Amino acid sequence: MEIVVCLKPVPDAETRLRPRADGSRLDPEGVKFVLAGYDESAVEQALLLREAIAGSKVHAVSFGPPRWTEEVLRAAIALGCDTATAVESAGEEAGDPIAAAEGLLGAVEGMPHDLVLLGKQAGDDEEGLVPGALAEMLGMPHFGYVVDLHWDGAAQRLRFGRSAEAGQETWESPLPCVIGLQQAWNDPRTAKLPAILKSRRAPIAKVSPPAPSPERAASVPERFALPPPRTGAKMIAYRTPEEAAQQLVRILKEEAKVFP
Amino acid sequence: MTPNVLIVAEVDSGRLSLPTVEAAGVARSLSGPDGKIVGIAGGAGAAGAAIEFGEYGIERAYAIDDPRLDGAPAQAQTAYIAAAASAVGAHLVLLGGSTAGRDLAGRVAVAWKAAAANGVTELAWAGEALRVQRPVFGGRATEARLLRGGRAVVSLRPHAFPAAAVERTTCAVERAPAASVPPALLAPRRTGVEAVPKGTGPALSDAPIVVSGGRGVRTPENFRLIEELAASLGAAVGASRAVTDAGWRPTSLQVGQTGRSVSPQLYIAVGISGAIQHLVGMMSSRVIVAINNDATASIFRVADYGIVGDLFAIVPALTAEIHRVRGI
Ligand SMILES: Cc1cc2nc3c(=O)[nH]c(=O)nc-3n(C[C@H](O)[C@H](O)[C@H](O)COP(=O)(O)OP(=O)(O)OC[C@H]3O[C@@H](n4cnc5c(N)ncnc54)[C@H](O)[C@@H]3O)c2cc1C
Repeated sequence: MEIVVCLKPVPDAETRLRPRADGSRLDPEGVKFVLAGYDESAVEQALLLREAIAGSKVHAVSFGPPRWTEEVLRAAIALGCDTATAVESAGEEAGDPIAAAEGLLGAVEGMPHDLVLLGKQAGDDEEGLVPGALAEMLGMPHFGYVVDLHWDGAAQRLRFGRSAEAGQETWESPLPCVIGLQQAWNDPRTAKLPAILKSRRAPIAKVSPPAPSPERAASVPERFALPPPRTGAKMIAYRTPEEAAQQLVRILKEEAKVFP
Repeated sequence: MTPNVLIVAEVDSGRLSLPTVEAAGVARSLSGPDGKIVGIAGGAGAAGAAIEFGEYGIERAYAIDDPRLDGAPAQAQTAYIAAAASAVGAHLVLLGGSTAGRDLAGRVAVAWKAAAANGVTELAWAGEALRVQRPVFGGRATEARLLRGGRAVVSLRPHAFPAAAVERTTCAVERAPAASVPPALLAPRRTGVEAVPKGTGPALSDAPIVVSGGRGVRTPENFRLIEELAASLGAAVGASRAVTDAGWRPTSLQVGQTGRSVSPQLYIAVGISGAIQHLVGMMSSRVIVAINNDATASIFRVADYGIVGDLFAIVPALTAEIHRVRGI
């Protein structure tokens, strides 16, 4: 199976978030962009499927400014992905997931792809638009929020679960298919030091994104704001558990107005 | 400008789902007196669900008449939705904040050549553009974006908006404009659904109130305390990963990075320390209450109200007080 994993460089979890001087978006200055969140699970699942299905390959693709994608792709190689491809952008499309899907499309179309795996949503904007957008461009079916992804070789079908409001659904789909992954079979592995060292010399193929089509509707970042810092909880003083309960119910009713 | 809005129905047991009813409320507040609001429903029970738009003051809806969509994934409706959006001259296609709605938005945006946003908590017209706001970074920041070009596809964050008020009118249901569905989208099949057991309260991601328990509860038997508190509030039950990993409760209840993201009106965390992987799944809840016997637990840093104390004393007292106040 030829598996493509699409990976978004996102700010490291330790990042102190801060808006750019014009206030329109996150200031990327000094921020370390890494492989994180559901994309890590997507890599893990791709590697597990490769181990389970003889003759499979995993191709990592990332869209963004080269200094960000390089970090992510080297991490993917160190974890065991077979090839790495960067789609270079200036980073100004941040905030336009459809533009990101367009960027990924060119790279994905240029390589064999039975299964396209992504995280169900990016670790930063948490938007989850790219899997569906990319699938529509590719003319392939797609599913987000996927868990427990398996390949049934006898039936030539993917089988997976999906957590929906009504309960846990199970689905089957032929290939090719796009999957937005919620959870791999296990927690993402960590790379071993020799593999990390070796990944530094691994080749990264480069692809240019398509020119943006002028008639397409665009999504433009306008403001990035931090909420006023949570001042910490208002602590309820009490002498007995009953008093604590009465106080909390009163607060929920009268102050927070969330009592049913 | 008199904006026209197309609302995509999600049908749940033959009725419009709660996220769809929230979308109907938003459409009504966004569309001026001259703007058109039209619903569209597809799949099994589509015609009946389309009529139900009339309950919320929406006078026109399309029903997709295509038996191939029964049992097919919602994405098979994409081409119909795009055709309907063009037919009504829509400026906005609005989807509810369910799994299916969020999953469909990117697809519909590409098919209809629109800009898109998922999980939106505020939206307003800014001339021809739509200004949307949404939480990012697990609620640590918010972003505002302009969706330009006069075509926007937006899904709402669950519970960020009240359900539409009932305002009965007659909804004229028409057959949706024809569209061609790529056969590839009809091939996937749902093979089963393990329904959330009835009687255990509302579904986690849908519930306006969530009560979650963590390792502090100590045993699977004690978790009953969390369930009783939830029942007293009509709330859904959630859990930290410590609980689901230990097998005390099923993983479908797990809140956090590798579980569900929830954003209820009220989230009560009991015996949960507040690890970042848990916080990202619940931090955008409107009001957060924490009950923990460790005053330094991180959960108190994101909570609005805290009780430092032994959950085995506090929780039963709280459940009893709620029963008393609600008269149940
Ligand atoms: C890749 C990865 C993904 C993860 N994903 C998730 C996720 O999706 N969701 C998730 O929840 N976690 C997740 N985790 C795990 C997370 O890091 C924490 O380990 C977990 O959330 C801890 O659960 P807890 O708060 O219930 O337990 P603990 O951290 O052990 O906290 C128990 C709390 O109970 C309190 N307590 C004990 N006794 C009492 C008492 N009698 N009365 C009141 N309070 C009491 C303690 O003071 C303590 O604060 C993930 C971890 C990793 C590495």
